Amino acid sequence: MKKFLSLILALTMLLSLVAVSANAEDITLDVIIAQYGPNTQEWFLGKGMDGSNFVEKFEAANPGIKLNLEVVSWNDLYTVVSTRISNNNAPDILNIDVFADYANEGLLMPVQDYCPEELYQDFFPSFIDQSVIDGTVWAVPDLASARALFYNVDLLQEAGVEKVPETWAELEDASQAILDAFGGEVYPWGIDMTTDEGQAAFAYYTWGNNGGFVDENGEWVLNSDANVEAIEYAIGLVNKGFTNPNPATQTRYDLQDMFAAGKLAMIIAPNQLPTYVTDKEGNVNLATAGLPHNEGATSSSVGVMDRIMAFKDDAAPDQAARNEAIGKFLTFFYDPENYVGWVSMEGFLPAVNSAVGALVEADPSFQAWLDVLGGAKFYPTTKAEWNDVKQGVIDVEQQALTGGNVKELLDALQAKIAGK
Amino acid sequence: MRSVFVRHRWEPYLWILPSILLMLVFVVFPIGIVFRLAFSNISRAGVVGEFNGLKNFQDAVSSPAFPQVMLNTLIWVVSVVGISTLIGFICALVLNRPFAGRKIARSIMVFPWAASLVIQASVWNYIIKMEYGNLNNILLNLGFLQDPVNWRISYQIEFVWECAIGIIVTIPFVTFTVLSGLQSIDEAYYEAATVDGAGFWNKLRHVTIPLVKPSLTVSTVLNIIYVFNSFPIIYTITKGAPANKTDTMVTYLYMLAFYDQRKGPATALSVVGFLILCIASGIYMMVTMRKEDSGL
Repeated sequence: MKKFLSLILALTMLLSLVAVSANAEDITLDVIIAQYGPNTQEWFLGKGMDGSNFVEKFEAANPGIKLNLEVVSWNDLYTVVSTRISNNNAPDILNIDVFADYANEGLLMPVQDYCPEELYQDFFPSFIDQSVIDGTVWAVPDLASARALFYNVDLLQEAGVEKVPETWAELEDASQAILDAFGGEVYPWGIDMTTDEGQAAFAYYTWGNNGGFVDENGEWVLNSDANVEAIEYAIGLVNKGFTNPNPATQTRYDLQDMFAAGKLAMIIAPNQLPTYVTDKEGNVNLATAGLPHNEGATSSSVGVMDRIMAFKDDAAPDQAARNEAIGKFLTFFYDPENYVGWVSMEGFLPAVNSAVGALVEADPSFQAWLDVLGGAKFYPTTKAEWNDVKQGVIDVEQQALTGGNVKELLDALQAKIAGK
Repeated sequence: MRSVFVRHRWEPYLWILPSILLMLVFVVFPIGIVFRLAFSNISRAGVVGEFNGLKNFQDAVSSPAFPQVMLNTLIWVVSVVGISTLIGFICALVLNRPFAGRKIARSIMVFPWAASLVIQASVWNYIIKMEYGNLNNILLNLGFLQDPVNWRISYQIEFVWECAIGIIVTIPFVTFTVLSGLQSIDEAYYEAATVDGAGFWNKLRHVTIPLVKPSLTVSTVLNIIYVFNSFPIIYTITKGAPANKTDTMVTYLYMLAFYDQRKGPATALSVVGFLILCIASGIYMMVTMRKEDSGL
């Protein structure tokens, strides 16, 4: 009996070996996808794509290529990726926001190595420009969002605010009016200076004062007079009681919840906010406007863009075949038949021209957002120091919230960053 | 005489080999890796580079936030362990006495311990919310408050909340460890003490505390380790904000590693934390064990 069992076992092992070797020519791509919403997982791996999913459809359309695809939440994404890099197990394809560190350390492949020309021409050129370091494109955009001022029409009306604030002075007047009308019941203005996204606040106010992270030559100018004035203004809004009370710990999602509940009158948020409010079963009569700016400065929207990139894998036996497989993945992903459904499901703005027509047809409000996006400024993510700057400006904001001197803090940050 | 069950001298080792292997793979090996990383250059993307001596440690210690973080860690560990041990001990004394509904009281005591820490921290985060938190709602509805109170008006107060929540979730652990110690005390000691005319305090001092001390030692040492390494409460409620002012060492090194992308200093700090814990628990155990020996 024992002999019989071991024979069976040995045979099974042999067979499984044969089975493996039969597929030895298959290329398996490790793909990490960022979880943008509650449906991402279903769409890529479940039944969220007309009863099927992305992986199944891709593998059916591309025999010989297998996807080992993982959807990872934004909370864990950086941890997962850096742990995998430390263990020499980087994914083949990664969907994330940052790329400069990976590119600077020579971990990425140039896009031209794997991206088919036809697809490459389809990307918005201004988006591609955001992923260039030293003349090489290191990543392609997967989607974008643009920020605008959203306001609760009813609350503003009730408080007697007739004109939606365009300048900082008007914003303070409107805030005062809302405060007078509702007392502590409604916060006039939302500010998020958390470690989640405090860099966005820095962008909103400094860009609204003709300041910003870098000057026209791309050099860091974090402590410019315009920036100091802008951050002092933002902290002033908090200190005057115009905002949510705990900007250092209340994230944009907390603010969006308050907005959906009618507890916050005005908020700067991405274009998906209306969907978010509906999902939260909020019943808010909302409208949008440009971001308020200082007198004499220009208003500019803040664009946020995420990316898809491919890592090098020197151990891959056939580099050309691997590159081709990655190209096929991208081609399939950006195929309007798949991509349009994905972008509209996630509620973002597209990164390729071929998707615009279908999206605008489905929802005419998309056009307005595409126009906003066209004039939007982006974070200087191509600069190597960006991550330090991002954490640095959040630290400055939080120090300033607890009474720190904005000028001294920004001077110190500038010295630390530029001194590197 | 050799037992008939043990055929070879190496046999017992064979039976514990699986646990030893598991410990090696899941405990010793990772600790070794952390030690190696702490002395290596780690790039922002996560590539492990060459040996760089004590540079990671210097970077970690010279950061402006470091003194505040260490002070917070000390306050956090001492207050949470100290106060929860005191309250937990009292709860155990109460639960050890026979009273109607004791079983129910004991089960209620387990609840906070049985729920996951992240969930508890999120629930508390919700309770103390100013806008629609339960605490404000209850107080407003009962008429104790006219306007909602911001329970998180400053970071010092937020840190006090975090410590308080830490204490609440730690009490059950102490209670049950001490309770198990209390239940093993023979009634005869108390009868003898009563005959000798000892009151409540004398019995507590001369019978209960000496006999329950081994359990207290275990719970305190484990608590120091758990609380020092406790991450969910602070991460859920403040994430160390504003500007690392409510961070303890563990949340700080997490932010350092995964927000600031400075993994070298972060691993160096985790080595420092490991050593601090080894030393602290070592001293505590030595002191208490020695006292017990001399008492015998």
